[in-house]
Amino acid sequence: MTLAKTRRVLIVDDAALVRAYYRQALEQAGYHVDEALNGLEALEKVLLHSFDLLIVDVNMPQMDGITFLRALRNKELPMSAVPTLVTSTEAGPQDISSARAAGANYYVIKPLKQDALTELADMLCGVVA
Amino acid sequence: MNEFVEQFLLEARELIEQATGDLLALEQRANDPDKIDSAFRAFHTLKGAAGIVEFEPMARALHAVEGVLSGFRSKARPISPAIIDECLACLDQVTRWLDDMAATGELPSGADPVADAIVQRFSTSDSDASTLPVGDWLERLSAGNPGRFSEARSALRYVPHADAFFRGEDPLALIEGLRGLISIDLTLPDPAQPFDAVNPFTCAVEIIALINEDAETVKRLLSEVSDQIEVHAIDAKPQAVSDLVLSPLARSVLEAQILLLREPGPNGRAARAASAGLVSINVLHHAGLASAANSIAGALNDADATSVITAIERALQRKTDNVSSERSETARTASPAAARVLRVDTARIDTLVNLTGELTVVKNALGHLAKQAQDGLDAKGVTASLRNLQTQLDRLVGEIQGAILRIRVLPMRQMFQRFPRPVREISASVSKSIQFVIEGDDTEADTAIVESLFEPLLHVLRNAIDHGIEDSAQRMASGKPSTATIVLRAFRELDNVIVEVEDDGGGVDVDRVREVAAARGLVAADTLAGMTEADVIDLIFASGFSTAREVTDLSGRGVGMDAVRTAVGRLGGRVSIASRPKIGTVIRLTLPFTVMMTHVMTVEAAGQVFGLPLDVIVETAMIPRNLIVPIGAAAAFTWRDRTVPLVSLAASLGLSSYIADVGQARVVVTSTGGQLGAIEVERLGGRMDVMLKPMDGLLGGMKGVAGTTLLGDGRVLIVLDVQELFN
Amino acid sequence: MTVKLIDNDSIELVGSCPSEDAEALFQYLLQSRNATVDWSGCKRAHTAVIQVLLAFRCQLKGPPAGSFLELHIEPALRRAGAQIRPFPAGPEVRNS
Repeated sequence: MTLAKTRRVLIVDDAALVRAYYRQALEQAGYHVDEALNGLEALEKVLLHSFDLLIVDVNMPQMDGITFLRALRNKELPMSAVPTLVTSTEAGPQDISSARAAGANYYVIKPLKQDALTELADMLCGVVA
Repeated sequence: MNEFVEQFLLEARELIEQATGDLLALEQRANDPDKIDSAFRAFHTLKGAAGIVEFEPMARALHAVEGVLSGFRSKARPISPAIIDECLACLDQVTRWLDDMAATGELPSGADPVADAIVQRFSTSDSDASTLPVGDWLERLSAGNPGRFSEARSALRYVPHADAFFRGEDPLALIEGLRGLISIDLTLPDPAQPFDAVNPFTCAVEIIALINEDAETVKRLLSEVSDQIEVHAIDAKPQAVSDLVLSPLARSVLEAQILLLREPGPNGRAARAASAGLVSINVLHHAGLASAANSIAGALNDADATSVITAIERALQRKTDNVSSERSETARTASPAAARVLRVDTARIDTLVNLTGELTVVKNALGHLAKQAQDGLDAKGVTASLRNLQTQLDRLVGEIQGAILRIRVLPMRQMFQRFPRPVREISASVSKSIQFVIEGDDTEADTAIVESLFEPLLHVLRNAIDHGIEDSAQRMASGKPSTATIVLRAFRELDNVIVEVEDDGGGVDVDRVREVAAARGLVAADTLAGMTEADVIDLIFASGFSTAREVTDLSGRGVGMDAVRTAVGRLGGRVSIASRPKIGTVIRLTLPFTVMMTHVMTVEAAGQVFGLPLDVIVETAMIPRNLIVPIGAAAAFTWRDRTVPLVSLAASLGLSSYIADVGQARVVVTSTGGQLGAIEVERLGGRMDVMLKPMDGLLGGMKGVAGTTLLGDGRVLIVLDVQELFN
Repeated sequence: MTVKLIDNDSIELVGSCPSEDAEALFQYLLQSRNATVDWSGCKRAHTAVIQVLLAFRCQLKGPPAGSFLELHIEPALRRAGAQIRPFPAGPEVRNS
């Protein structure tokens, strides 16, 4: 009786290749995908739209992922508590703990393979398997 | 149960190594509390593992040993040699059971009486307090919590002092702080006592609890009231896997939410907590655990981070399913012998995953470029992008090759740590006092090498103990300490791994070797007379030199020093021996760091391409045919004042050859095993680095061939084993 | 105030009850044996207070606000003979 709700994902990454790669995987899995090139654009997007999941890269020009996430969590915005997956090429303990301190729900090394990405997205969005 | 057997065997063997090492250390220092603790834990974990594969007799036997060790732990008494021997004997039996399981894939039958015997030995052995007195409180706990006992790892009885309240203590607060608390029961000493006789100022309550935490941790956490508690470990029982389970990834995500909830920073705390709660609920819904999800939702309404954390932790206590994920800790590797299992550092697998990820990105970029080209991107743009991608691909392939090779590489420690025990036994059997030293056990080498070296090294060690080391009377007469020293060491030297066995024994008796060699007709008498001392000593490795084949306990097969040389040679290495009379002997094994990467020069013969390992090539030359002298069926020529035997590659492989130039022979001069040789080929090619696939199957027995690889154009390159060509 | 006598039939435990509350609770219960102890606002309670509840086998009205009390102490008290009053709102008795 209930229609499966279409989950909305925002991909925040300055690399077009990565955005395209994730978009393909997520759209195939039934997600609605939106993109932002850096933290500033991402802030604009979350102010205007609602999402079920953010996938945020750490290294971006203009405003990096950690700064963006911290701003998101600290301000009292409707989207402040949105589940957020942080990705980076680095995964030292410092990187992980600073992401967590900024409010990341989970941290993965990129690039994520497509099936790992969709599985993680399903999990973080509560899609019943 | 079968899927766990392999994992169980792996872990069990490691635990046995661990326990053996600790027990042997305790032999030297009976008082070492760390070693007793570590040995205890190894037995305890082994027992738990046996429970998981439902091998009840083994669990029972180990429980008996564990109990005894526990007694020594708590009393901090030195442990007697008799007990150590019994513990080692128990480990031997467990090893036999493991071998049985490995062979049949089933639990060994008839294990019960053996387990009974072990239990018997440990209950009559000299130890008291093998288990804590049980009393009826356990019964009460069990009766009050019928379904929960199987989740528990320990049971606690805490009777606070009567003046606990006066002292400002809050016993229940201590219990509240325990993780893994399953349930508590509270009792007053005399429930029938009239109410007004109760004194609210004195503490009269008995607290008993079931805890999903191991007994040692509980004792540690309650160490401040250790005189008021009794902690009883509960045997690990096999648990029924529930239908609804959490994948390792789900667990990891849930644990990350707990950490997020614990983040101290004041700003953004509400949003962090809310997002963590939301993610946890989502993960549980995804796993089909709706009720657990609801309990978190309920805890979220309290807006109390602690209760959310508790709710998540309870959800985590469900058994994880064993669906293997990319983070698998074992990888199967096919090797010529049989399918083997490798224990691999997960970081190395992760590196590989990342690299293949990067590879995919390049692949996609190529696809994108193709589309761009199709859409009319100019040739210059295409070339530039192609060049860029090719560079990236080049780097990636190199890194991937390196990463794969590194997966096969392990430290020597794994193999070295199997030696102290046999060395101890062999020394005891010949009544010699030996100090065994291991150096450089973190030196790394290819798995195949590390594993295959155990038997040859064991024989070398046995030899050193038996023959190399003199008996103590002789040693003292030479002014040596009566305890001999044998050193097993490993280190890297350029592309090689060197393993040495050095002893401070009497050195090789050169005259005796001469005698034996002559007596066995290994070398003609006059040749023998002309040999240098070093060459004579080297005869030890000659086939037929060793006397009665010695049967090792471990393999049951005979191993002579010649077999050592063969085994090492098969791995691409060599063994040599250096000796100084009265001072000692060093046996040195030189092995390639990895058996897989080979640098070759390609050559052609009879229309086929072959690879010659670069490290055997001395030079290439053109030799006028009139300088080549036939010698019987073979041929030779003089080269730099030395006589060099010549083989035609085509002929030696049974192929018909096409001689292009009748006047000259194109040869490659090689040096193997100290001998020069020359191979006639038709054409020379360039240098290549190849990943060698060892020969197996039908071609495995083909003489002269080391392995194959594929060339870029799809042709098969056969890499030659030059030494075999000349044999 | 963490221990409150409301009337002859009910006593309230609220917030974090320290060991001192044990005596007050004890006295109240001596006076009104059948009083119901409402601990639905109680987040924590010192062992001394719990001991009194245990001794008197009180009628408890809950569930208590604190999770340790709710998950572990209330079931322990119930097994030891305390009587748990059901939620006024819901028809079933809470099971833990």
